[in-house]
Amino acid sequence: MTASLLEVNDLCISRAGHEVVSGVSFALQPGSDTAVIGPNGAGKSTLVQALVGLLPHQGGTIRLLGHTLPRSGRLPREVRDQVAYLPQKLLLDGRFPLSVSEFVRLGCSPCCNHRKAVPAALERLQVSHLRRRLLSELSGGELQRVLLAFCTVHPRKLLVFAARRTGRDPQAAVQLQELLQQLRLQEGLTILQITHDLSMVRRSSDWVLCLNRALCCQGPPEHTLSREELERLYGRDYVLYEHSHHH
Amino acid sequence: MAPELISSLSLWQEPFMQRALIGGVISGILGGWVGSIAVLRQLSFFAEALGQASLLGISLALLVGLSPPVLLWPFALGFAWLLRELLKRSSLSADALLSLMCSGALALSVVLLSSLPGARLSLQQLLFGDILGIAWADLLPLTLLLVVTLAYGVTSRRAQILISVDPVLARSRGVAVETHRLILLGLLALVVAASIKAVGVLLISGFVVIPACVARLLSRSFNVYVLLAAAIGALSAVVGLFGSAVFNQPSGPMVVLVQALLFVVALLAGRWVGQTTTAASVDRAR
Repeated sequence: MTASLLEVNDLCISRAGHEVVSGVSFALQPGSDTAVIGPNGAGKSTLVQALVGLLPHQGGTIRLLGHTLPRSGRLPREVRDQVAYLPQKLLLDGRFPLSVSEFVRLGCSPCCNHRKAVPAALERLQVSHLRRRLLSELSGGELQRVLLAFCTVHPRKLLVFAARRTGRDPQAAVQLQELLQQLRLQEGLTILQITHDLSMVRRSSDWVLCLNRALCCQGPPEHTLSREELERLYGRDYVLYEHSHHH
Repeated sequence: MAPELISSLSLWQEPFMQRALIGGVISGILGGWVGSIAVLRQLSFFAEALGQASLLGISLALLVGLSPPVLLWPFALGFAWLLRELLKRSSLSADALLSLMCSGALALSVVLLSSLPGARLSLQQLLFGDILGIAWADLLPLTLLLVVTLAYGVTSRRAQILISVDPVLARSRGVAVETHRLILLGLLALVVAASIKAVGVLLISGFVVIPACVARLLSRSFNVYVLLAAAIGALSAVVGLFGSAVFNQPSGPMVVLVQALLFVVALLAGRWVGQTTTAASVDRAR
């Protein structure tokens, strides 16, 4: 059995004095695609932010790439360079004068040769033609590809991100998942994503964490996305609503 | 006009004009750089509040019998820190709080200045700048500030961009976001304090913000944007100073007027370029 890339044991995270995540334990295998699902306010963002060192944790342990993270949450440099994190929505100002290649270059670690790495990353994500465009001029789908180029310009082991709700641009969401699977196969990238799109989880994830402050269940999609488990996680009304919209 | 032009050209040989020119160029570069980042972080009104509060610093210095520049730099730093803490802790919105602090500081400084027996500085010089009054002694701290600011600008380039794109993304890449924010506010306060002599209290925010706005209209990359903002700051200081000498006007309004004119030109040029580009794309599409 291969060693886990990430091991979380009995993790507890509090924010402003309230426990938001409690007693969470799971492990990520290298090259896996894990989805975190759960209702709004379930602590999904808090959990992933603690895993990538953006929030402190009050109890339990996080072991990432062989390093046990301190309670303060700050990742050691050698770990940080191998992990990429994308927030759900960038606070990018539409008037920001930043070209695509300048942005992707920011993802390079100090030791990487950006003259080779940036064009290669743009080529891999099929966005070389956008290199001189401003970041603010990109469409949703183009921006997603550029963000992935930013994350993978330097070889990384783990990509953690919060997928956007797919209501407005379902095609871009499908393309994003295809790209992620491609990167997973080609580069051995391990993926941990927060998502609301259960049909996408069924199609591409191989492990699911059902979170509602504590872990309700975890396992492969065929077990965790059963009607009974979803009712337990989201409540009966939500499951009926989802069912009527997809059938 | 011609004799005035000739006499103003001969003025450049005078030491006070050379000092003013050096001081103007340094202030312009400083204002351009710090303004380019401040605009991206939506700190323009912060610069306005700092500028008006500087008048309070000058009034306090006169009240206790100190030379204004001695007190102005630490006062600006202290006021910037106070504003930051209030913005963090107050339930008021940023614009309301800054407006309150700005007006309060201005009102207090006018009361203090009018109560001073035989005010030793002309109000016009304070409000609109007196770049010709720059002494050699003023240039040393200004040069030091330029060196420190440029060194910080070069070494923190990646951090500045990442924080401006998204602070959470910046933190995930190991950037010390709060430290860089604090340093930027400190530099903004010092640049405002250092440039008060050249452009005065009322126009300082324009002096810092307009070059960045012009550069934004003409740039398609961060590097070009920052360099252009600094260059526009320096160029407008030189042209404004020249105009100030030719038309015998206070230096601050002339410098800011040049910046505003450059903004209009950039706006028109941007539209023209945009239209040409669109037309070319349509042609190519056909």
